Amino acid sequence: MSTIELLLVTGVLLPLASFVLLAFVGSKLGKPASGWVAVLAMAASCVLAAVALMQWQGLDAAGRAAARSAPVLWATLGGMPIKFGVNLDSLTLIMFFMVTFVSTWIFVFSVGYMAGHSDEIDGVSKFHRFFTYLSLFGFSMLLLVIADSLLLLFIAWELVGVCSYLLIGYYFHKKSASDAGIKAFVTNRVGDFGFIIGLGMVVLFLGDLSLAGAAERFHHEFTAGGPLFSRTFCGLSLATWMGMLLFCGAIGKSAQFPLHVWLPDAMEGPTPVSALIHAATMVAAGVYLTARIFVLLTPEAQQFVAIIGCITLTLAALVAIVQTDIKKVLAYSTISQLGYMMLAMGVGAWIAALFHLLAHAFFKALMFLGSGQVIEGCHHEQDIRKMGGLIRKMPVTGLTFLVGVLAIAGAGIPALWMPNHMKLGLGGYFSKDEILAVAWHRVYGENHGENEVAAGAEIQNPKSKIENATVGTPPPEPRPLSPLLFWIPVLMAYVTPFYMMRCWWLTFMGKPRDRHVHEHAHESPLMYVPLVVLALGTFVSSYYLFRPLVAAAAPHPFLTASYDGAAAEAAEAHATMISHGAHAALATRVGLAFVVGFVLAWLIYRKGLAVGEKLAAALKPVYTVLVHKFYFDELYGLVLIGGTMALNAVSYAFDKFVVDGLVNLAAFVTERLSWFSGMIVDQGVVDGAVNGVGRGTWSLGGLVRSPQVGRIRNYILFAATGVAVVVVWIAFV
Amino acid sequence: MEHGNLLNWLIFLPTIAAVLCLIVPSNRTVKLIAVLATGLTLLLSLGLFQHFAWWGTAAGDVFGAGYGQKLYEVTKLTWITLGEGARAPKIEYFVGADGLSFPLILLTTVVTFLACLASWNIEHWKINKGIRGYFCLFLLLETGMLGVFCSLDFFLFYIFWEVMLLPMYFLIGVWGGPRKEYAAIKFFIYTLVGSVLMLIVLLAFYFYAPVGLRTFSLIELANNAAIQDAFKAATFLGFRFAPLMFVLLFIGFAIKVPVFPFHTWLPDAHVEAPTPISMILAGILLKMGAYGLLRISYPILPTAGMWASYALGLLGLVNIIYGALCAMAQTDFKRLVAYSSISHMGYVLLGIAIMTPAGLQGAMFQVIAHGISSPMCFFLVGVIYDRAHHREINRFGGLWLSMPVYGSLATLGFFASLGLPGLCGFIGEFWVLVATFSAQAVWPWMTWAKPFAVIAATGVILTAGYILWMIQRVYLGPQREEYKGFPEASAREIAILAPFAALALLLGILPDQSLFRFMNGALNQIAELFK
Repeated sequence: MSTIELLLVTGVLLPLASFVLLAFVGSKLGKPASGWVAVLAMAASCVLAAVALMQWQGLDAAGRAAARSAPVLWATLGGMPIKFGVNLDSLTLIMFFMVTFVSTWIFVFSVGYMAGHSDEIDGVSKFHRFFTYLSLFGFSMLLLVIADSLLLLFIAWELVGVCSYLLIGYYFHKKSASDAGIKAFVTNRVGDFGFIIGLGMVVLFLGDLSLAGAAERFHHEFTAGGPLFSRTFCGLSLATWMGMLLFCGAIGKSAQFPLHVWLPDAMEGPTPVSALIHAATMVAAGVYLTARIFVLLTPEAQQFVAIIGCITLTLAALVAIVQTDIKKVLAYSTISQLGYMMLAMGVGAWIAALFHLLAHAFFKALMFLGSGQVIEGCHHEQDIRKMGGLIRKMPVTGLTFLVGVLAIAGAGIPALWMPNHMKLGLGGYFSKDEILAVAWHRVYGENHGENEVAAGAEIQNPKSKIENATVGTPPPEPRPLSPLLFWIPVLMAYVTPFYMMRCWWLTFMGKPRDRHVHEHAHESPLMYVPLVVLALGTFVSSYYLFRPLVAAAAPHPFLTASYDGAAAEAAEAHATMISHGAHAALATRVGLAFVVGFVLAWLIYRKGLAVGEKLAAALKPVYTVLVHKFYFDELYGLVLIGGTMALNAVSYAFDKFVVDGLVNLAAFVTERLSWFSGMIVDQGVVDGAVNGVGRGTWSLGGLVRSPQVGRIRNYILFAATGVAVVVVWIAFV
Repeated sequence: MEHGNLLNWLIFLPTIAAVLCLIVPSNRTVKLIAVLATGLTLLLSLGLFQHFAWWGTAAGDVFGAGYGQKLYEVTKLTWITLGEGARAPKIEYFVGADGLSFPLILLTTVVTFLACLASWNIEHWKINKGIRGYFCLFLLLETGMLGVFCSLDFFLFYIFWEVMLLPMYFLIGVWGGPRKEYAAIKFFIYTLVGSVLMLIVLLAFYFYAPVGLRTFSLIELANNAAIQDAFKAATFLGFRFAPLMFVLLFIGFAIKVPVFPFHTWLPDAHVEAPTPISMILAGILLKMGAYGLLRISYPILPTAGMWASYALGLLGLVNIIYGALCAMAQTDFKRLVAYSSISHMGYVLLGIAIMTPAGLQGAMFQVIAHGISSPMCFFLVGVIYDRAHHREINRFGGLWLSMPVYGSLATLGFFASLGLPGLCGFIGEFWVLVATFSAQAVWPWMTWAKPFAVIAATGVILTAGYILWMIQRVYLGPQREEYKGFPEASAREIAILAPFAALALLLGILPDQSLFRFMNGALNQIAELFK
């Protein structure tokens, strides 16, 4: 095992050690020591990740290849060996670093936040339990990041899911919290159902569960025209089905339509959990999975991913407009941003999707922690209609939150208008811009003949750093996509700044609307230090730091075209095919979307809620549908939950009355039969016969007895008569 | 074949202890003897590791050249000679261990020992009469169970099968709950029906083998080509011999597994049986059905296995889905766990039915995994039953707050049952699902395998549903007044739960080192017989 791998594996095991320690002695450590144990473990992991990352940066391609060691055998399925190892590439390292870094600061925040939020369960202290779960979560998530096998990934995936269940249901004395935990887990399992079948297809058709091995066999199947590509089911090739089924897991975990319903409910968990799991890391696991199986996605499967992403980002953005709970606004914005990432994956913007993931992790964690600070400061008030003017009481929170809002809104100055195409803007700006640029390119690029390759300024990954390139056939010309896949995301890029500014303005600006809430508002240092760190991270996490690392790990797809992906052979020198035309087209279409959105929000909400309420009244039907989140919960509750419950009742009734009824009937019949044979046949007939013989003999005996009265004379008479008869008989016959 | 006496000691040590139980003076000594005897049996069974050690030797050395070629701790004695002369057939006392029985022998000794510890508080049960009788029967039960797993002679197998039945009948019928007589009789008659069918097959196997080759040896019946040919060609009352025998045997074993529609004895037996007996019932007795299929039906009648694969697979599927649906409808805690057993055993049947190495591996892993998780779950139910004296799920709530350590262990146990990766339940399920999905790679004619796998996979959703819903109703929620004073799990209770928890983790994290490598060789040999 190489040093880098050793660093990463130790980094994974540290939170596990913390989990084990806290599980056994956490209650003795108590508050806040148990929290600091978790923080320490995660911070140590983060340092190891940073060291590993620096070492990695110092290696050339050969050194990087040499740093990967062979995976070890875990088990054998039939005759197929299943091996686990570390998937060492730039993406793993940067994800590892991001997860540990964000987690560390969220853990720190939690020590402050949970001090006031953990003792409310019937007087039983549950402080340590929170950090026990958090440590387990850290372990699972990091395991997921380094997994080099689809099965190991799935194992970590499920562990992450169970941590999410435990943390959402942390306040388990509340039914709503444990309901939300169940909803999250079961909804994820629906996605996993597809994932498992997808894994079944991988085993059957590819015979290798390791990511690298599966990709290689997939390529081989493609060139050889194996059953995966030659056979179809419902009009789609089996390869497409495999990709779509594997992606089902991501639909569940990343809260994509139609399995997005669990994420808003997951806000029942403590706010740091929402920040860590339901914004920054776990939900991003779906995108990470999609990135890892990207090379297994056929163009059709990619299109499926893009459509799902597009639907999700739209639904969530629209619902976010009418939310009044600060955490729910953030939850829906998370779903929407995840939709953008999936869209990016679907249109082939592999790098942009992950770039957006990393940027999003920082600014979303930041905003969630900010909301936690607000909720804490306002004594558990989460309704933004009751807030307002909090900037004066919580300046650090308000300003850092604003950084997050700017980042998610995509604030930046379009490169086109800058000298030398200089990049200036927050992380979210670049990533969103790149996603939309690729989408534009896919829709209009070829048709307009503008796909000349971008200038060197775009290139951040010189050839020597390309890691995952497999030699293969050049990518086939991709099909053009529906213009909707460009225009809808663009439209929603105007909606995002609107609802985020609405949320920020209603919370921090204007006049206080609830005196009581406002008076007691305060912020505490232990909690705002992480905010400042993450805000700084949001600035730094931009184009120049994350993107090159992500780009270096981009797969070389042989079947699908990744437009910003590394090195199509035709464009070896240039990793990207995004044209200037795309960026120019974008600059005019969405370059200043954030300004438009902000201004619109400001116009409506600058004087409080009145204008917004009037608008809602004027657009009542639309408003009602949005407030009810497009009625998904109602529909699922009625059809799925109701259906299952009915099926349960029917099954059990069948079991009780029919199956067991037959058993009891058989017993009854046997019993009756034995009664019949015992009482009627045996006692009546058989025994009757026996008794009849007995009785007959008895009565015969009685009959015979009557002459035998004991007088010698009579006997002599009988005897003499008898002798006489015999004599007569002999004499005359 | 390596001779040895270990298995003889294993089988009869509990019997000796049972006799001792009858003669020692005090009840306390009886309990002590029982615990010592089951503990000693457990220690002895660990001795089998000398043959199945995972270091050094290659698989071929451990498992031999073919099915039944390499057996360990064999004792082969003539018991009853039928007829005259040197070639006269014999009923033999023939015991031995191979990769198929080794994990089950170990499971039996472990679960029995822990169940014996679980019986320690018998004085506090509602029916605490006849402690001496209880432990005596308990020990005889262990002899029966170990005998079944060790026997390699069909007749001996049958004898032990019956030996196990009788103590179980009394243990449920005397120390059970309110409807104990009903449950015990139902269990007894059901199993007896199975035994009778097995008896028919036992005799048929003997008499349909060519004269001179007649034998009860299960190894010989499977390996002898002449016997196999005779079985393939024969007819019985106008039916083809092999399929008919397969069906008769299957019904016998299906009752034990239990397979839909022969399963309704199980919830009743579980609900009425005292906790330790439920543990043994779920942990070991159900496994005998699967073991019987793998030891007798499939090696001896492989062609019939193929003939029946669709039907068996379908029944497995029904078990998985139907069991889960019924489990979700339960309000009695124990009944819920009982139905979940039915659902979980469906994976075993499905894995066996597809007859591929991966399927057999998954099925056997599920057998052992369920043998760990289900006794744990039954004991978890027992712990709160001892305190609350009822099992109504809807009347519980907030127990995690009263009993945090117990609550954590309960979560682990039920998550193992749910099939969470990292715990034992996952591996078996995953193996079986993937094996079923890819069964066509081995048997191209199995066109139904893929749809079956897809339908079976919905089980993972349903399982999550009923288990989490149960956890919510029992362990989560606000603390209820009536359960506030519940004492935390005692040292004894934790000592019983902890080994189960540790095994569940071990099997889930290191499936190969903890289980697969001890049995895969033997399972692959059985799969070889199908070709």
